[in-house]
Amino acid sequence: MPTLTYLQAISSALRDELRADPRVLLMGEDIGVFGGAFKVTDGFVDEFGTDRVMDTPLAESGIIGTAIGAAVVGMRPVCEMQFSDFISCGFDQLVNVAGKMHYRQGLAVPITVRLPSGGGFSGGPFHSQNPEAWFMHSPGIKVVAPSTASDAKGLLHAAIHDPNPVCYMEHKHLYRRVKGEVPSGVFETPFTARVAQPGSDLVVIAYGAMVSVAMEAVSDGLDGASVEVLDLRSLVPLDEEAILDSVERCSKVVIIDEANSTCAAGAQVAALIAEKGFESLDGPVVRVATPDVPIPFSPPLEAAVLPGVERVREACRELLAY
Amino acid sequence: MSSSPTDVLVDVTMPQMGVSVAEGTVVAWRVEVGDSIEADATIAEISTDKIDTEVPSPASGVVTEILVPVESTVSVGTVMARIAATGASQPQSLDGEPAGQTRTETPIPSLPRAGNGHRRYSPVVQRIAAEHGVDLEQVSGTGRGGRVRKQDVLAFMESAPVEEPPLHIESPYRPDPVAPVVDGGLSRMRRQIGQHMKRSLEVTATCTTWIEVDMSRVEAARTRVGVTGLSFVARACIDALREHPALNAWLDGETYTRLSDVNLGIAVSLGDDGLIVPVVQRAHELSVEGLAARIRDVARRARARELTPDDVQGGTFTITNPGQYGSIMATPIINLPQVAILDFEAVIKRAVVVTDADGNDSIAIRPMTILGLSWDHRALDGALAAQFLATVKRLLESVS
Amino acid sequence: MATHTAEPAAGGEAAVEHLTLEDRVWLLRAMLMMRGLEERAMTLYRQGKVPGSFYDGYGQEAVSAGAAFAMGPQDRLCILHRDLAAHLIRGVSPARILAQYMGRAAGITRGRDGNVHFGDRHLGCVGMVSMLPDMMLVATGMAMAFKLRGEARCAMTWFGDGSTSRGDFHEAMNWAGVQKLPVIFVLENNQYAYSTPVDKQYAVDPVERAAAYGFVGVTVDGNDAEAMFEAVHAARERALNGDGPTLIEAVTMRMHGHAAHDDMKYVPKEQVEEWRKRDPIERQENRLRVLGVDIDSLRASIKAEIDAAAEEALAGPMPDPSSAVEGVFCEGEAEPLGDGQAPWSGFGAA
Repeated sequence: MPTLTYLQAISSALRDELRADPRVLLMGEDIGVFGGAFKVTDGFVDEFGTDRVMDTPLAESGIIGTAIGAAVVGMRPVCEMQFSDFISCGFDQLVNVAGKMHYRQGLAVPITVRLPSGGGFSGGPFHSQNPEAWFMHSPGIKVVAPSTASDAKGLLHAAIHDPNPVCYMEHKHLYRRVKGEVPSGVFETPFTARVAQPGSDLVVIAYGAMVSVAMEAVSDGLDGASVEVLDLRSLVPLDEEAILDSVERCSKVVIIDEANSTCAAGAQVAALIAEKGFESLDGPVVRVATPDVPIPFSPPLEAAVLPGVERVREACRELLAY
Repeated sequence: MSSSPTDVLVDVTMPQMGVSVAEGTVVAWRVEVGDSIEADATIAEISTDKIDTEVPSPASGVVTEILVPVESTVSVGTVMARIAATGASQPQSLDGEPAGQTRTETPIPSLPRAGNGHRRYSPVVQRIAAEHGVDLEQVSGTGRGGRVRKQDVLAFMESAPVEEPPLHIESPYRPDPVAPVVDGGLSRMRRQIGQHMKRSLEVTATCTTWIEVDMSRVEAARTRVGVTGLSFVARACIDALREHPALNAWLDGETYTRLSDVNLGIAVSLGDDGLIVPVVQRAHELSVEGLAARIRDVARRARARELTPDDVQGGTFTITNPGQYGSIMATPIINLPQVAILDFEAVIKRAVVVTDADGNDSIAIRPMTILGLSWDHRALDGALAAQFLATVKRLLESVS
Repeated sequence: MATHTAEPAAGGEAAVEHLTLEDRVWLLRAMLMMRGLEERAMTLYRQGKVPGSFYDGYGQEAVSAGAAFAMGPQDRLCILHRDLAAHLIRGVSPARILAQYMGRAAGITRGRDGNVHFGDRHLGCVGMVSMLPDMMLVATGMAMAFKLRGEARCAMTWFGDGSTSRGDFHEAMNWAGVQKLPVIFVLENNQYAYSTPVDKQYAVDPVERAAAYGFVGVTVDGNDAEAMFEAVHAARERALNGDGPTLIEAVTMRMHGHAAHDDMKYVPKEQVEEWRKRDPIERQENRLRVLGVDIDSLRASIKAEIDAAAEEALAGPMPDPSSAVEGVFCEGEAEPLGDGQAPWSGFGAA
């Protein structure tokens, strides 16, 4: 099985889909001739042509809206927002047209929206966001967030095959830093959570780039404690069963959000645990999240707000001792 | 001008002219009481914040009442007038006919009881302690500020000295630890229980019969299977009810009904609050393990006040099992409208005479219990009660 | 890219340009049915049987009737709230439309969305959203797919003078122009966006913007169903020839308020009177009466159809409340839009 980076895994998924399914169409700014801002589609035009790897005008609302139109007449558009931050320019089309269409009209909208997300490289307020909570909150939209190279490929295949609008949160920080064995060909990763590391004294729940932060934070065993790491992978649908199972076994929970704290995905997980996992708890549900600030540009400021290994480790230590 | 009995009275209501409009004012009536009007013809003129408009009549017929006078302002939906609709035109209300089921409501989650006393225990700590009969006051805590952590309870259980408890400690009759009540007066629940008990004694002809049972095979089986003795007793009762169906019945006044299903009530103590008898529905379909699981479930839900009306209805026979404290016999009161109730008290090791295959007697130490059956002499006789108990004894003493 | 105004057909001939007599009667039928249904629905609204708000296209019937009539079965439409005739031409039954207004289970959206926020996907129509003109981008996307796949089909959408001020108008026009897509944009200029008259909406007549985005813009008498048909027919030919989009400005007047709860006091009475003389239905009736068509009998048959539709709709149940949380996601295969009816004789329809 080949070892690929997270970014190569995404490219692999897109390439395999374009080869396997003539309905698949990639749309985005600078993805064609230029090969994409992050080179995810480098070389694609040579194999698939400019029609199928479309350089669109600079128009996020246009990208999402036309993708919807193409989808309802039988295509499988995979649109890219160059940075997840720009989804706000296409928010209306995604939330009001795509998200609500099946409920209202019984008409499926099989679009995938790739959203390069997250910070950690001085991207500043408009190139570092994690906007998934906006779409968890909008009915009719699925949201997935891979943390490993294999899941990056499998979840993208599954997203493209899904008949519903799917937001695919690909984390920019992981593009070249995460490597792993990735099966070849088309395969699907289910929209469920994954136990990244089993444990019994405490569970750290995370997704996206925060999974590696969690793994590093607990890697030295935390004074002999047995700590589980649960990788959510799918935010809508949220894997309630897996979350409650981890809570039942571990009884102590730390939830990490790289997104701004208020109403982040972790807030929903915490509410779920408080409601349905109460009898398993041996301590309060602890959250480690970025505070409610725009992501700052200067490195010490950015490092101060994004959840890092030390902050997570400290939260785990305190809760274990509680 | 009276309306005929076959006419339907149709309401003319203040319409909602726009999403944010909440009321309207009647400007003029185009009819008087007694006038005829055709459906869709203008019956009134109204004025709202957004627009002045006409109201078309919802039906053809004769105006029977005008309820809102000119220049009165009423809320949207208020009935302004009524028409006795003639003939086939029976217009639907806005709601029409609902397609079917009533709305399913989201159940309100119930909260487990919090620990009492000066120490606070987390939900999981309480649950583990309750399930294993651990006295949390004995457990030392290694958590923040000396709090008892889950690991502390688990560690305590592993190292606890083996104190010989009565043989049956997992009884649904066992109450939760509660702080002693210091104020006087009977609670509502207590009074209701009292009324039910008193009525039973007044209405029935209650007698009690007892039998001794050697529980050695049950003890061996239950440790092997991992369930309580109660589950075995329950299963034996169900089988005995099959052989003696007269005891699986309801007697309400003169009406005597034998039932084919065995819905087994299990008395659960709620501490000072009283007791309740949740029902394991269709218990005859369950094995010993199945009964154990269901008894555990209804007992837990009873103590957590999570029972639904279905959980306490339809019982055909009841078992009460207050064996924790060591009492050996009781005279239980029948749970109306049932005709019998079985009392299962403590299992105590006794010296008994056993006879071997050659007829030789010796003394052996056996775990023994006394099962008591209170039964209603209006529905059956002592001989049948004794036969029932004999069957239960036979089944328990031949458990494999 | 010069603009021109389509001339109404000269009176007196049974068949004109591309329309047979039957076609011309069809146009009138569609307009009469639209107006009749909307009047019936307005009555139901005032009787409290239609919840929420009620919108109609009174006086604008020709804009949707004429335009939709030129669309083929495989073409796709994004229909707006004053375009009921388009739904009728595609084949949606009047009873289902009334059920839809009343929020009944038999409505096209089964009670999930109200008034004209519907589109029967089996007939190739996409249901509108309230954010206008979002549907312009959806229509553009459908046209984009047709072009990529080399199919001889086009997409069409309607939108109003107000929505030309929003970003999606410009993104759609630009996208359609730069990719030269087979899409027809019908701008229903009915002079008012709620209470905002056009001179507060834009500094140039939006039909001129077509040139700015690289394609043809034409102005048409929106109250002439046959002129509308011809303009859209020509636009469709242009699209199918690979010559790109067309913006058609249909000039008309909104004769009722923005919604049933709006008494349009802000519209000068003279303006309304002026446009009443140009009523599109009256116009078409006059043309056809001269040709011997029995207008009264046509009206009577439409009324009977509407009565039957109302009865059927009123007899239907409200949706089951427990179904309110179902259907958010598609659980099976995504089905693309189906084909609609296309009664124009030029499509070889019987």
